[in-house]
Amino acid sequence: MSPDHPLVLVIEDEAPLRRYLRAALQAFGYRVEEAATGAEGRNLLVQLDPAVVLLDLGLPDGDGLELAREIRGWSRVPIIIVSARGKEEDKIQALDLGADDYLTKPFGSGELLARIRVALRHSADSAGEPVEPVVEIGPLRMDFAAREVFLDGEPVHLSPNEYGLLSALVRHAGKVLTHKQLLEEVWGGVASAQPTYLRVYMASLRKKLEPDPARPRLLLTEPGVGYRLKA
Amino acid sequence: MSERMASEEGSARAVPPRFMVPVDGRPESLAALQAAASMARGAPWLAAQVEPPSRLHHSPRREAQCMEQLRLAERLGAEVVQVNPTGFRVTHDFLALARARGVTALVVPRPRQPRWLGRLRGDLVEDLLRGDPGLEVRVIPADPDAPAGPPLALSPDHPDLRRLGTAMAAVALATAGGLVIFRFLDLADVAMLYILCITVVATHYGQWAALLASGLSVAALDYFFIPPRFTFAVQDIRHIGTFGVMLGVGWVVASLAERIRAQTRMALDRERHTGSLYRLGAALAEGGDAAAIQDRVESYLRRAMGLPALVLLADRQGRLGHRTAKGIVPEPDELAVAQWALESGAPAGRGTQVLPGARGLFLPLVGTEGPVGVLALFQDPARPAVGPQGLTLALAAQISLALERARLAEERAEARMRADHEQLRSTLLSSVSHDLRTPLGTITGATTSLLDPGPEAAPGDQRMLLQTIHQESCRLERLVDNLLELTKLESGQVHVKKEWVPMEEVVGSAVGRMEEQLGDRPLTLDLREAWVPLDPVLLEQVLLNLLDNALKFSPPGSKIELEGWAEGGRALLTVSDQGPGFAPGEEQRVFEKLYRGSCSAKAPGAGLGLAICRGIIQAHGGTITAASRPQGGAKITLTLPIEGAPPELSPDGPA
Repeated sequence: MSPDHPLVLVIEDEAPLRRYLRAALQAFGYRVEEAATGAEGRNLLVQLDPAVVLLDLGLPDGDGLELAREIRGWSRVPIIIVSARGKEEDKIQALDLGADDYLTKPFGSGELLARIRVALRHSADSAGEPVEPVVEIGPLRMDFAAREVFLDGEPVHLSPNEYGLLSALVRHAGKVLTHKQLLEEVWGGVASAQPTYLRVYMASLRKKLEPDPARPRLLLTEPGVGYRLKA
Repeated sequence: MSERMASEEGSARAVPPRFMVPVDGRPESLAALQAAASMARGAPWLAAQVEPPSRLHHSPRREAQCMEQLRLAERLGAEVVQVNPTGFRVTHDFLALARARGVTALVVPRPRQPRWLGRLRGDLVEDLLRGDPGLEVRVIPADPDAPAGPPLALSPDHPDLRRLGTAMAAVALATAGGLVIFRFLDLADVAMLYILCITVVATHYGQWAALLASGLSVAALDYFFIPPRFTFAVQDIRHIGTFGVMLGVGWVVASLAERIRAQTRMALDRERHTGSLYRLGAALAEGGDAAAIQDRVESYLRRAMGLPALVLLADRQGRLGHRTAKGIVPEPDELAVAQWALESGAPAGRGTQVLPGARGLFLPLVGTEGPVGVLALFQDPARPAVGPQGLTLALAAQISLALERARLAEERAEARMRADHEQLRSTLLSSVSHDLRTPLGTITGATTSLLDPGPEAAPGDQRMLLQTIHQESCRLERLVDNLLELTKLESGQVHVKKEWVPMEEVVGSAVGRMEEQLGDRPLTLDLREAWVPLDPVLLEQVLLNLLDNALKFSPPGSKIELEGWAEGGRALLTVSDQGPGFAPGEEQRVFEKLYRGSCSAKAPGAGLGLAICRGIIQAHGGTITAASRPQGGAKITLTLPIEGAPPELSPDGPA
């Protein structure tokens, strides 16, 4: 396997899951290194400089959240959290600490690869390449320079708040954004801003962009966590 | 008085004697109790409280001793009974009780007062010996070292100066009247006037006043009317007799009046006593748990008897819990006294011999199976002490029984819950192990044929087997999710975090997650715009379960409908399918844990889904109901309360 294949570091204590991840990732051209503990993961991270880290929150030698915070202290490597269902609080905390995305166990390989692709793309973006002035995602076209939005080629009129919300989601397309992150991106962290505001603007955005707002194709809800624009 | 036996000791040998001991608080009674206990040799015997409560009021110390002796009697195995006083002869009442209870022998202490005093005052033992010749009476010599107590006798009120003054005034008035009528009438009529005066004073102002009035009357009659007048000399010896009659009348009338007063007081006491017990009984009859009883007893005692009270409950280890009520905060040392009362089973505090200086009286509440708590009666130090007397003890007994009843009821409920839990656990185990095994078996089977395909295996088989594995894994996942959710719900770990959420958002995320399972199954959504306060994560769980059920229990390709709207302060959501619906009568049962509908035998699932839905919806303060649709199919309706105002922000509003 050539070194220009991206390296994925899997920090996960369960061997069967590591084996599955290795098989699934290698089949799609990634290189994989495994660590069973947080300490081992920390070492490999320094030595190997991977392109993406898959981090399990339930590690035997300590809190995965702590490790995520520590890594964020000195590295911008994309971190994808792996955790069990029903731990929304942990996920939100990890995301707000700087993790890039999360996967809820059990997850399929399609979901896994999609998350890794999004994470790699965003890490390339933040590595200096400017955000493209025009982004097209499915039927949606967003012209950042002209502050214009088109759906199926038709211009859509958005209020400033709606535009702010949509542009945040588009800039992180495919990646989950927590309520807190969105509130900070769009309203600059105004103390009075609450998830309810987000829901109000999200509802009106969906009315304008989704043919059936109750079965959204683009603006997906991550219950209890935040929103994600389907990439 | 001699130690005599009313009957020969040997005569009652065939039938074991049944003893009864009078208890009046005098130290001598102790010896009689101990003697009776040893003579009874384990057979039932009685200890009777003979002094009427109203008299005991005069001497709190004596009363405390009496209670002490009754408790000792109980410890020695006696049944404690109370002589019901009729107000006249204590002996008569006592003997009536003895006959009624089939007593064959009385054990009485030898009185310590001199014989002449006994003759003069009347004595219980003497009376008993005369009272019933059919009873055996055993007289027990007192312990010579024990201090002599005051004898059981009528103790008049202490003299009251105001009353004595009134008596003097009355005699002065009678003298004035006598001086007037003496001009027209005889000396005998003047004497009558004095007797009238003495009678009036005796009936109204008590014995001391009567005594004084008698003496003064005699003196005044002598001085003013008996010749030679205006001297105390008496000419005619006949008049000495008149003096004697006047003194005698005064004494007799005063005694009678005193008796009537005592009787009235007793009757009032008894009525108060019965009334209090009755009303407390009525308050306790409302039932409820121990905490409710505590509150009711405390408020009753405060309202009805003016006593600030606390009911302190003992835990299983016999430690009293702390408790405060309006204006009552027990001090640590008071709690220590209460704890002492609980452990020793004896009253302590005010009006007892243990820490009589305390602010409160602490009565142990002892049920049939041991101590349950302590009744603390806090008293105004300026008012006479309420001690462990008949009424308070009876109240304590009643409270004890009520508390014990409540405790037993709690224990029963706990036991039932434990049994239910056991039952549930075993059902859950069998149901879950079945539901876990089935998909696991399929997965194991499919993987072995994948690992070792036969020579004839078609290429399509492999994919089919993999799809099976995938489906079964999803099934397992759902089951484990539900089990976890149910455990969390049952152990109260689920906290509903309500947020204002548009209905379409929560429905949208659930439908999105079901997309793969739904495949090409038609699902129609009909949602009015509505903002509902709910926990989005929990409600998604509900909708996933409902959609999953609709998928499982309806034929492939049939339509599933989801409707949502708001009306009358609540949000409604319905999920309908075109399956067989519910059998009549099972609309309620489907929400029970592990209940599986009559038509669900073919479909997998442990019957947890709807139970979880109900748990979550109830935690939201909503309802969930099941019904069969007239045109066929099941319809689950859930309602969620909409309280408060939904957010009103225009898309271009502030923030």
